[in-house]
Amino acid sequence: MNPLLAQFLAEANDLLAQVDEGLLQLERVPGDPELVNEVFRAAHTFKGSSGLFDFPELTRLTHAAEDLLDQVRSGRLALDSGMTDDLLAAFDLIRGWLAHVTTHERLPASAGTDAAGLITRLRAPLGGEAVTAVATTATSTATIDVAPEWLAWLDAEWLTETAGWLATTSSTMRFVRYFPDSDCFFRAEDPLHLVRQVPALERLGVVQPRVWPGPDDYDEYVCLLSFILATRASLGELEYLFRYVPDQVQIVELDSDAITRHLSGEPPLQVEAAVTAAVMPMIDSDLAADARALLHAAQSSLAVDDVVAGDTRLRSVVHAVASAARALGVPVNLTGADRATLLAEIDRLLGAAAPAPAGVAEDLSTAVAAPVPAAAVADAPGRADDPGGQVGTRVLKVDQEKVDRLMELVGELNVAKNGLTFLADAAEEEFGSRVLSRRIKDQYAGMHRIAEELQAAVMDVRMLPLSVAFGRFPRLVRDLSRRLGKTIELVTEGEDTMADKDVIEALGDPLVHLVRNSLDHGIEPSDERIAAGKPPAARLTLAAVADGDAVIVEVSDDGRGVDPERVKRKAYEKGLISEEELETLSESDAVNLVFRAGFSTADQVSDLSGRGVGMDAVRASVEKLGGSVTMRSKLGQGTFTRLRLPLSMAVTQVMVVSVAGQRFGIPVDLVVETVRVPAGEMGRVLHQDVVMMRGEVVPVIDLARALDMPWAPTPGEDRRILVVSVNSQRIGLLVEQFHREVDVILKPMEGLLAYADEFSGTALLGDGLVLLVLNMKEVLGLAARVA
Amino acid sequence: MPLELHEETANLVGVVTVDEVEQLTGWLRTARRPKVSLRRCNHLHTGALQALLLFKPKISSAPNDAFLATQVLPLLTGSSGPANKQGSDPP
Amino acid sequence: MTTVMLVDDSATMLMSLKSILTKAGYAVETAGHGKEALDKLGKGVKPNLIISDVNMPQMDGITFAREARKAPGMRFTPILMLTTESEQTKRAEAKAAGATGWLVKPVGPDQLLGVIKQVLPGA
Repeated sequence: MNPLLAQFLAEANDLLAQVDEGLLQLERVPGDPELVNEVFRAAHTFKGSSGLFDFPELTRLTHAAEDLLDQVRSGRLALDSGMTDDLLAAFDLIRGWLAHVTTHERLPASAGTDAAGLITRLRAPLGGEAVTAVATTATSTATIDVAPEWLAWLDAEWLTETAGWLATTSSTMRFVRYFPDSDCFFRAEDPLHLVRQVPALERLGVVQPRVWPGPDDYDEYVCLLSFILATRASLGELEYLFRYVPDQVQIVELDSDAITRHLSGEPPLQVEAAVTAAVMPMIDSDLAADARALLHAAQSSLAVDDVVAGDTRLRSVVHAVASAARALGVPVNLTGADRATLLAEIDRLLGAAAPAPAGVAEDLSTAVAAPVPAAAVADAPGRADDPGGQVGTRVLKVDQEKVDRLMELVGELNVAKNGLTFLADAAEEEFGSRVLSRRIKDQYAGMHRIAEELQAAVMDVRMLPLSVAFGRFPRLVRDLSRRLGKTIELVTEGEDTMADKDVIEALGDPLVHLVRNSLDHGIEPSDERIAAGKPPAARLTLAAVADGDAVIVEVSDDGRGVDPERVKRKAYEKGLISEEELETLSESDAVNLVFRAGFSTADQVSDLSGRGVGMDAVRASVEKLGGSVTMRSKLGQGTFTRLRLPLSMAVTQVMVVSVAGQRFGIPVDLVVETVRVPAGEMGRVLHQDVVMMRGEVVPVIDLARALDMPWAPTPGEDRRILVVSVNSQRIGLLVEQFHREVDVILKPMEGLLAYADEFSGTALLGDGLVLLVLNMKEVLGLAARVA
Repeated sequence: MPLELHEETANLVGVVTVDEVEQLTGWLRTARRPKVSLRRCNHLHTGALQALLLFKPKISSAPNDAFLATQVLPLLTGSSGPANKQGSDPP
Repeated sequence: MTTVMLVDDSATMLMSLKSILTKAGYAVETAGHGKEALDKLGKGVKPNLIISDVNMPQMDGITFAREARKAPGMRFTPILMLTTESEQTKRAEAKAAGATGWLVKPVGPDQLLGVIKQVLPGA
């Protein structure tokens, strides 16, 4: 795939999430200008980047959405839930399109017709007709309170002092970035002359090109300088002074906080330099900014891509350049243009638009010797539409696979490290050198510490906040509750709690299940609630909290709750519990019957105050993660489901055993003890092998038989039995041999074994063998069936 | 005349406009060890400033003009004022 | 002496601007339309600043600005366009044609002299 498109798709995902979240929040806090702005910016960025590709429907639809949002932003329109619906629908449609693009690299054929209706609806509140984007946007904003990155051109010491003074006096200061067009001298503009007229100038920074052209190539009439200045002059004065060059300046008003935040974020200057070359983050006419971003993107696309004429990629670049040219008011005919022509044309257009200092863009890629971090350079193209207001630490976006690979390598390092202990033994036993053995062990200890720290560091990288898992629920709850005609307030707590990405990922489905159940069946319609003396709006809570090395996620509602008597009766009718249990089962145990396999099917939903659809599926997936699920309920008052999951499932300590020469792993936390029992002491009760241990009868399962492996214990030899505790019941496993305990990185089953439930995953051992880790519950089930 | 050019020294006088930029740049290109006096200079066109920044002549005397003395001179004398940075400088 | 060239088809406008400029010590050249102004530039008149109306017969102000830029010695001469409040789009066109800025009619003395100071270093 075209790297430009791949980049766009990656970015699109985030933008869509931002828009969704922002719109939902807006519905709750209508008119919050910050929120509106956020959504608008995301939509705007989306439109800007979509223009890069030959997806006219996408651009049209985002444009319509953006226009609507713009009206909301400017306060000319109030966002109502109808508009929110349309906007959400538009971005949903886009999400669907992009999925199609991901696989086919083009929009679905139906895109035009799908979009038409929505576009009409989105435009309706604007008076219907398509508003063509004319570059008449306001030049500067009155209270942008986020410090732009270019502030870094002013020295930190002065900024610190200024921030202090502004705090003391609770005042603000205006900061201007003046980025003259390179051909501005030919309009008789003299930027320095303009700058010296700035009233109450406090600080001036002159930004020189990263790389000057050589004396012979130097064109004295090309303006290469730009200016950053701080002033106490009012916004009005500045706007007046710079009125002839509004598209070349950006003015922000900052208070002490904004500057302090900027300072603590330590924005890297090198990146700024890269950004000025690749983009020009200025508030000029939006259209021109888009056009420039487009041109730069096209340029980098041509630089990385080995494109040839006729290539679709080249065609999309041609398209991009042509639309940029149109936007800049200098249409060009590029039919049949090749790469070189295009590059020349892009240069020319950039020159006409508001170009970067000559030679800078090219110099970037060659400036390896200069202290430009690779990450910064790689980052530059992706920031094409960044409004330049990033504050705080820089975050690297890393492909999940790379982190997984890192984790794998940590695992292999652990394994290699463990090899040293064998070497130490060999040094002593085979070569008779205790000293050498001692030294190897010391080395091992050092490596062990480093490996552990490395592992912890990688694990930390894998940690994600629970908000990732909770993120989809505001939308889900909103949509479902509207459809069901119920009023539901969703409350989320503890979104900051961190857990391993695999846990977060695996948590998704069970949570959706639980929430849907709650909405569908647990929560009553408003009238029923009022009749029951409850507030008409139901409350659904998603809460997360860390608990040692586990994370607890709770889904609770204040709906009708579960009737334990009905659950018991149903379970009895299904043959899941005995008549005795029907009598004796406590209420809380009864409620948890809903998790039993075979308890419920869809047709029984309404029958049982709703609870139970596929709850056994929830239990199964949670247990597969090594977690547990319990439910508490008070009839008429609500239901409370608690999931307990390991914080991380990346490293598991397993006990290695073997049967028929094949090794298997068993999670150590299940292992109670390992025992050798003389053959004669094995007993048999009702076709079940048993062993007496400290007065307790422990059933013994033949692992070889359960797994259908060709092995039988040698008659007369001691039996090796691994005692495990499953569902608080002790069970012995008859095995051929015990091995060591090892730390392994458990990987989910793939391929043919993906459906083999008796295994919970695989792990690589030091000698290169693959260890299958047993899912004990399933193994016990298998054993029961075999017997 | 805003430019008084000699073999190795130049006096910039009054307002150096865009019309002088070409001549000044040409002189800077060829002069072996250029020295520039800004004492009587009241304003430098951006293009002239840019040429001085590129060719880095020795500044033999400081401008009387307050703006040039405080904001521009530090750029030219190498003791680059704290507020003025070159693109390739580390932060 | 700083010379300002005024180009406008309205004699009233020319007179009022000229009187302000002369009192402020500027030399003034006038022309009734773009063509006439170009002729003068071609004949060696070298203003330090040109102020031109947008709407004029024969040759409109924007075409004039574009042509004037090509006249000898006029590459870097500030050109200000006289516009009305409603001629917003003309301003962008004018800038694209090489104009430096604009003045909004009616033009008072303070505004006119202020703008000249802004665009003309040392004026």
